[in-house]
Amino acid sequence: MSRQKRQQNLIGYLFISPWLIGFSVFTAWPFLQSLWLSFTRYDIISEPKWVGFANYHALFTQDPQFWQSLQVTFTYAAVAVPLGILCGFGLALLLNIRIKGQEIYRTLFYIPSIVPAVATSVIFVWIMNPQIGLLNGLLKTVGIIGPNWLNDPTWSLTSLVLISLWGVGGSMVIYLAGLKDVPLSLYEASLVDGASAWHRLKAITWPFMTPVIFFNLIMGVIGSFQYFTNAFIMTNGGPQDSTLFYSLYLFNRAFRYLDMGYASAMAWILFVIVVGATSILFMTQKKWVQYGNN
Amino acid sequence: MATTDQVSRRDVLRWVGAGVAGLATGTYLLTPGTERRRMRGRKTVRYWHMWSGEWGEVVQTIIDEFNESQSRYEVVPLIIPGSVGESKFLMGTVGGDPPDVMTHWAQVIPTWGSQGLLLPLETLMSRMEWEDFKATSYPVSLTTGMLGESLYGMTIGLNAFGLYYIPQHFIEAGLDPENFPKSLEELCTISELLHRKDRSNNYTRIGYVPSNFLNLSQVFGGGLYDFEKSELTLNSEENVRAMDFIVEERKKVGFDAVNRFFSGLDSASFTGGWPFIGGALSCTFDGQWRVEQIRKFAPDLEYKTIPLPPPQGGRPLAGVTNGNFMIIPKTAKEVEGAWEFVRFWSGLAGSEQAASLYTRGGWLPLNNRIAEAPDYQKYLRENPEFGTFVKVLASQDLVGNPPVPTQTFIMDRANRSEDFAIRGTWSPRQAVEELEKAVVEEQERRRRLGYAV
Repeated sequence: MSRQKRQQNLIGYLFISPWLIGFSVFTAWPFLQSLWLSFTRYDIISEPKWVGFANYHALFTQDPQFWQSLQVTFTYAAVAVPLGILCGFGLALLLNIRIKGQEIYRTLFYIPSIVPAVATSVIFVWIMNPQIGLLNGLLKTVGIIGPNWLNDPTWSLTSLVLISLWGVGGSMVIYLAGLKDVPLSLYEASLVDGASAWHRLKAITWPFMTPVIFFNLIMGVIGSFQYFTNAFIMTNGGPQDSTLFYSLYLFNRAFRYLDMGYASAMAWILFVIVVGATSILFMTQKKWVQYGNN
Repeated sequence: MATTDQVSRRDVLRWVGAGVAGLATGTYLLTPGTERRRMRGRKTVRYWHMWSGEWGEVVQTIIDEFNESQSRYEVVPLIIPGSVGESKFLMGTVGGDPPDVMTHWAQVIPTWGSQGLLLPLETLMSRMEWEDFKATSYPVSLTTGMLGESLYGMTIGLNAFGLYYIPQHFIEAGLDPENFPKSLEELCTISELLHRKDRSNNYTRIGYVPSNFLNLSQVFGGGLYDFEKSELTLNSEENVRAMDFIVEERKKVGFDAVNRFFSGLDSASFTGGWPFIGGALSCTFDGQWRVEQIRKFAPDLEYKTIPLPPPQGGRPLAGVTNGNFMIIPKTAKEVEGAWEFVRFWSGLAGSEQAASLYTRGGWLPLNNRIAEAPDYQKYLRENPEFGTFVKVLASQDLVGNPPVPTQTFIMDRANRSEDFAIRGTWSPRQAVEELEKAVVEEQERRRRLGYAV
């Protein structure tokens, strides 16, 4: 490597050094530290003490709430992620149609996704109030007595899944951008061949959109396993642990009971699950994701 | 027009702008934090609390009065949001920057005391003071502020609970408000006459509906902790009876219907929005602070207070409570000043002067000396309904939550068991057994790891 090249590299690294230092100190080091902490007894105040696999053993064999939180989180991911993709993609298709006021509609559907999660939660607590809420008020006008959305174990998780659709505008924008990349010539050719709208969607739009859908699927799955804010504010894990999400339980163990070793073990199990789920999805992509070069 | 060799006006402005912004940022970051000090030359006592709004103003008057009462210390307050009160204290203490004194809720005392974070306050008292404190304080301030033989939290405002009721509602229901039920069972029976529903069968008003297993277990003669033997008593026949009573009464009124009714109310409101003030509740179990709230927001409301009548075979004037406690971290830098402030507010430094402080927030005092001081008596004459809570406070059967390091876990699990029971998922006995099982398992796990339990 020439001296000039080395100098260029050095300057490059100097420019990104603030990020590198920040990443090392605030992400990489705590990340590795938490692995060590997961094998310790640690309550913030006293020094961590090595306990081997005791935290992992207790989680897998003695903690029913751990399994309950996993079940809640997996159920949410299994329902909310596909539903979010379906709604986001559907909205993008509708808003891709050239109609008057298209930009306004796009903006209106996008705005909810930038409303902070805390504000969204507070608003939906009132919308879903069983007695004076807007939702049950609307249902009442058609003769339906609405459920006790957030305070009934049979409805609480469903309610949070429905609320997740509020933020679907974020992925909708990505789908819209993806739709712009589908060559118009293919649509024109298919129209000449007499293809119906359904066939055009199936044979042209869908294959071209699969990389975008795959991206949103990966992000959605990761986001679902980290789901926290809405459940923390709206239900706090209840009723009857029906919304006890994994991250919420982890938070309680860490900051309510000051059991950082146990919480670190939970965090690493979550990390393994997320890596595993993402890897499986990556393995499946060859079968259904179509990139431009294939 | 700018060329490559010339510096344009825009470039100059850009560089000057960047320079000014950099200078301002640097100055901001390098300037030490400014404390709101007004009394130079005095030792600073850093005081953290979680009162804001109107309550914050009341606390500020007490701080000002302390600062004016002596010439050595200046208490400088910092208001912490309630939601981060615990984490802020922990981070500050572990990070070497703790407050000198902080007001916290009672729940933190067993955990932090056992972890060696808090200064045992008896170490700051003379032997005579300590003996006098134990002899004169209301029993509940000892069961709540102490862990083992050490005092880790000094009360500056205990809580007591009682029934608030609206006599007019009783009269409308054909009941005599002067002849209040003598037992909890009787109270639940007459409450059925106080409930009101609309045409859709939704409740529009509710009388008394029992809840809160933590409290009622004590009322039924059980309780979660035996303070004499210093041991947990989670699974007792009295506790099962309390849970069963809550479940059966909830069945009568309909779990879902009551749940829907309360979800439409702002029961936690500290203003005129409290449902009792609006007439949505005819009879409700609540804390003494509501007296002050009613005085402020609905001075014309005609209401009465009375201690919760005991169930058959239960304990009168019993219950579980908590309150506001002053804690001093072991690593506090200005312990003497902090202790002076604690003595001033709690009443250890003088009952008569402290009595006026307690009345400002409608707080219950540390001991009977303060309750009998002229200022406190004047407050009781002006707010006669407050007397109920002073009476409850003096009871031997009013206790704190279990003073064990796993208190938060136990309380969470007790509430969870109650939730499972009133929804019919668990029987009352099963709910109590599940509570005990969960707590025993957690304590065994923590014990194996070497934690204090």
